[in-house]
Amino acid sequence: MSALIAERVTKRFGGLTALDQVSLTVVPGEVHGLIGPNGSGKTTLLNLLSGFYQLDEGDVRLDDEDLSVATVQRRARIGIARTFQQPRLLGTQTVLENAMLGGWRDRRTGLLATAFGLPQVRAEQRMLSERASELLAGLGLAHAVDRRANLLEHAEQRFLEIARALTMRPRFVLLDEPAGGLTGAEIERLGAVIRTLRDCGIGVLLVEHHTEFVFGICDRVTTLNLGSMLCHGTPHQVRNDPEVIRVYLGA
Amino acid sequence: MALLALLATLPWWAGDLYQLHLAALIAAYWILVAGLNLVVGFTGQLSIGHVGLLAVGAYAFAILAGRYEWSPWIALAASGGIGGVCGLLLGLPSLRLPGFYFAMATMAFALIIAELSLALGNLTGGGVGLSVPSFPVPFDTPAGFYLLLLGIAILITWLTWNVARFPWGQALIAIRDNPVAAESVGVPVFRLKLAVFVLSGITAGLAGALFASLQSYITPDTFVFELGLFFFVCIIIGGRGSILGPLLGTAILTALPELVAPLAKLGNLFYGLLLLAVVLLVPEGIGRLFEIWFARLRPKQPASHILQPDTARLAAAIRNGHQP
Repeated sequence: MSALIAERVTKRFGGLTALDQVSLTVVPGEVHGLIGPNGSGKTTLLNLLSGFYQLDEGDVRLDDEDLSVATVQRRARIGIARTFQQPRLLGTQTVLENAMLGGWRDRRTGLLATAFGLPQVRAEQRMLSERASELLAGLGLAHAVDRRANLLEHAEQRFLEIARALTMRPRFVLLDEPAGGLTGAEIERLGAVIRTLRDCGIGVLLVEHHTEFVFGICDRVTTLNLGSMLCHGTPHQVRNDPEVIRVYLGA
Repeated sequence: MALLALLATLPWWAGDLYQLHLAALIAAYWILVAGLNLVVGFTGQLSIGHVGLLAVGAYAFAILAGRYEWSPWIALAASGGIGGVCGLLLGLPSLRLPGFYFAMATMAFALIIAELSLALGNLTGGGVGLSVPSFPVPFDTPAGFYLLLLGIAILITWLTWNVARFPWGQALIAIRDNPVAAESVGVPVFRLKLAVFVLSGITAGLAGALFASLQSYITPDTFVFELGLFFFVCIIIGGRGSILGPLLGTAILTALPELVAPLAKLGNLFYGLLLLAVVLLVPEGIGRLFEIWFARLRPKQPASHILQPDTARLAAAIRNGHQP
């Protein structure tokens, strides 16, 4: 099984070095936590992996393919999905339609075939709708499939973003603070969902502030501070690292 | 269905020829607006210069069918093709521009076409204009031509409705509302914008040819820039992301000032007031009003619900999707 690798990546914004020579490997079937204080570069790293930022040094690889200059769309096609800190949904569209958007990479028909409503287009529509419905049911959103996405509660929006990412049939899912704004009970359910992704062989990168949640669920954890790697290892190692305690966790 | 029957029999119950002409004009405008609606209403690209593409189609038809005496059917198809090519040439450089600048580029295009239609006198007749041939029997009468326009308008409506309801339509709305989300699922944003813009060029070219034949005589003054704004306003008043809304918008904005005589004097003031009223009262357009009515008919869903994932089902769904 091949991993999603960031090797010695550096990202600068003007004079500010947001990330300095950071390496990280997301392995299929593993949950990899990424923690650190505000401004330590967690989301920047996620944006480099998903292609929203171009890196200045180092490289990003998957399956021996160098993705350093690959577009966001290319990365989505080869199986890298992500969610956003602020859920980015289509408010006027239904929950099902939002989830189906993730199926774009499996659609083969062009604009002309669509305009004439050819049988392949209908078949694709059915296939995507079934796939998205199953995922929504699995995530506990079956009751809301026909609701407009802007009428969802916050936790439901977060789960819908995960549904959209999963409709892409991804090999890797990058979650940007998925527990943000969730209640304790909802975070537990989110944990169950993330464990399910892992058990299905998906590699999960979990960017999160909620350290107890991260230590409880991750197989490995990387800690960043001011754009540099502070520590990397199992939750047990990281939690007991004196540097991490001093800079981030506190006594 | 009843509405279609009503529209199809219009020639037999319309009050006079002028009303029939008005209905034909609405159909011709709608053929353009239907394509433009995918660009403006669904993809969120604010083109205000489609009157330029309308003029290109009209002059192409007048020149090919008039001067060169091509069969009107072949000239009609050619007008659509030329409209599509112009859409491609205009879209390639301009669709990468952010909203406001894209609107300016389409405006510039419309102004350039207007100048060219004056300057290329030996092709377009300059300020004097060109007379435009009509279609052969049985479409040479007002009733026959109206039915031809109606048929083409229904066909175009069906095509755009298909685009809107299948995954393509969702991707277009994603480009409009959340381009970052669209990219993140792999939607090639620029390519989709361009494809839809070319399609709108084709419908604008077809509309131009039919519009020219309906008017039977065209001059550069037929294609004033305000007409481009008019098409745009039809969509905004009708509502973004809807097909019925802009269709009603086109019909109302074309017909009302003509049918209600006092309004005709007000002209642009009427458009301005209507636009203001819609933007202030129903910013989502009159199409949204219908959605709200339909939603009221449906049973209410429980407002709150405990979010309870079913991990076994989730795992099955994921594994099922990952099988080759």
